Amino acid sequence: MEAWVVATGLIFLYLVATIVLGVVANRRMTVDMEDFLLYGRRAGFVVLYLTVVATFHSAFAFLGSGGFFYTHGIGFWMAGTWTVLVGAITYVLGTRIWALGKAFGYMTPADMLADFYESEAVRIAVAVVSVLFTILYIQVQAQGLGYIINVASGGRISFELGTLVLLIVAAAYLVAGGLRAVYWTDVLQGVWMYLAVWIGAIYLAFELFGGPIELVRAVMAERPDLLTLPGPEGFFTPGMWLGMTLTLSFGIVFQPHMMIRYYTAIDAKTLKLLGATTPIYLITLYIPTALVGLGGAIVMPGLDVPDRIFPELLFAYAPAWMTGLILAGATAAAMSTLDSILHANVTVLTRDVYQRYVATDRTQAHYVAVGRVLVAVLLVVGYVLSVRTFGFLVVLVTLSGSGALQLMPAILGVCFPGRRTLTRAGVLTGIGAGMVTLYLTLVVVPHPWGMHGAVWSLLVNGVLAVAVSGFTRGPSSETVARIHGEVERFVYGSGEAPPAIEGTS
Amino acid sequence: MSTPGPVPRSHFFPRTAAGRRATVAFLLLFALCMPPFTHTVWNRIEPTVGGLPFLWVVLLAIYTLLVLVLVRVYRNGI
Repeated sequence: MEAWVVATGLIFLYLVATIVLGVVANRRMTVDMEDFLLYGRRAGFVVLYLTVVATFHSAFAFLGSGGFFYTHGIGFWMAGTWTVLVGAITYVLGTRIWALGKAFGYMTPADMLADFYESEAVRIAVAVVSVLFTILYIQVQAQGLGYIINVASGGRISFELGTLVLLIVAAAYLVAGGLRAVYWTDVLQGVWMYLAVWIGAIYLAFELFGGPIELVRAVMAERPDLLTLPGPEGFFTPGMWLGMTLTLSFGIVFQPHMMIRYYTAIDAKTLKLLGATTPIYLITLYIPTALVGLGGAIVMPGLDVPDRIFPELLFAYAPAWMTGLILAGATAAAMSTLDSILHANVTVLTRDVYQRYVATDRTQAHYVAVGRVLVAVLLVVGYVLSVRTFGFLVVLVTLSGSGALQLMPAILGVCFPGRRTLTRAGVLTGIGAGMVTLYLTLVVVPHPWGMHGAVWSLLVNGVLAVAVSGFTRGPSSETVARIHGEVERFVYGSGEAPPAIEGTS
Repeated sequence: MSTPGPVPRSHFFPRTAAGRRATVAFLLLFALCMPPFTHTVWNRIEPTVGGLPFLWVVLLAIYTLLVLVLVRVYRNGI
């Protein structure tokens, strides 16, 4: 049987499995916002673990990281720094976000920040940052999906049709089962993508070089420039190392699709175990992609699109069933991120915009129905963004990785009590100035003096947030005592948040 | 910055000895996988370890130790 038939067939089977999971999730769902948008705050360790790692690792980790190793060499092994940092952030910060969410009924990042800083302007700014910079990931993931299915079918299924079909499948199971469906399909996707990338890389290493060690020896002999820093093209400078560490740890965690996951944990202990162990999955996924990228640089040098190295090697050297299995894994990697971003945007738009400003006093079923309509709207937006080229999108995609990083001072101000607090004016000034700096240091003059633009923007943001907070009015004593008191009680008290309080956000 | 009424003590520094030890261990190890170490002392292929380049193995060792710190923190309930 030809490789493209097996590859396309396995992807189809995988899509059927996700639809079935969506239908089953629908039967378990109760029609209220917490269940549809937050899994009823009942996510246990296994489900939460696999949804976090599957969401964190997108099509980029599966295909793009191989391309990075192929082009820039071993420097991408720095991925360990940001993945281990994600674990620590989850342990220290994620648990505090969870406790506050449970205590005060927060459902989105904007809920928490607007409550603490007592400002609707903060809510709007955070919601805009959340949606603007993550909606672009829908485009990125959808394009990845279209590309994968186009490659898997040997060009028989067009990029546009592949993108549309996979977007519809993701939207369908999200509409059917809400976040529960997303989590359950993420479990499948998280396991599939991990096994697929390891099996594919090990197979190729033995097939092409006689084993992983022999592969590395071949790289040492033929391309030693790939095994030291800053790499053949000088990409991994110290400033880039620092900036990528910040952007891809804090910058990803503060995106709504990751922060919302903290709210969904069943208890703090689950979240702490998650923080302690997620780096194991996240780091070890980059071992096989390093083998693929470095080995590919020896076997198939000069690719026009380095991100294609994994599928190109598979089609050239692997059996059809394995190629299908692995490309379905790549589909899983992209879809698990895509569905989570779709869901996060639906949550922000339903909660922070519709419920807050359009229809404040409707039934839970009404808001769930609105959420489902928004999935369809975002599906159309995502598709249009994926198949059309807009000039301004190129700029926004460049900024998107570091956009959520601008929420860092504001979030730390809520979750870490101190002698003084930031103010709404300080936070808003910081976010605004951070965004302008980001534009200047990523687009106008990229990475000045070799330092990643994210570092510059965060410096400007933090300094201005503190400076402006020095002479402007902060949150009321009652609010600070209520929220920081809860953090204090959670961290140094019993360690568990109290029962949820309705309607305080 | 505003100075509201009674608020908890600062959370930016751990209050318990175990918390301080874990924080210092994590930060020191983390510093070892950041510049300048990565771009100077670790930045070499030789000596290889088990056939793998020195930089790769050193970073893997540091990442492993960082995960072990997190696991230990969890097991000790810090």
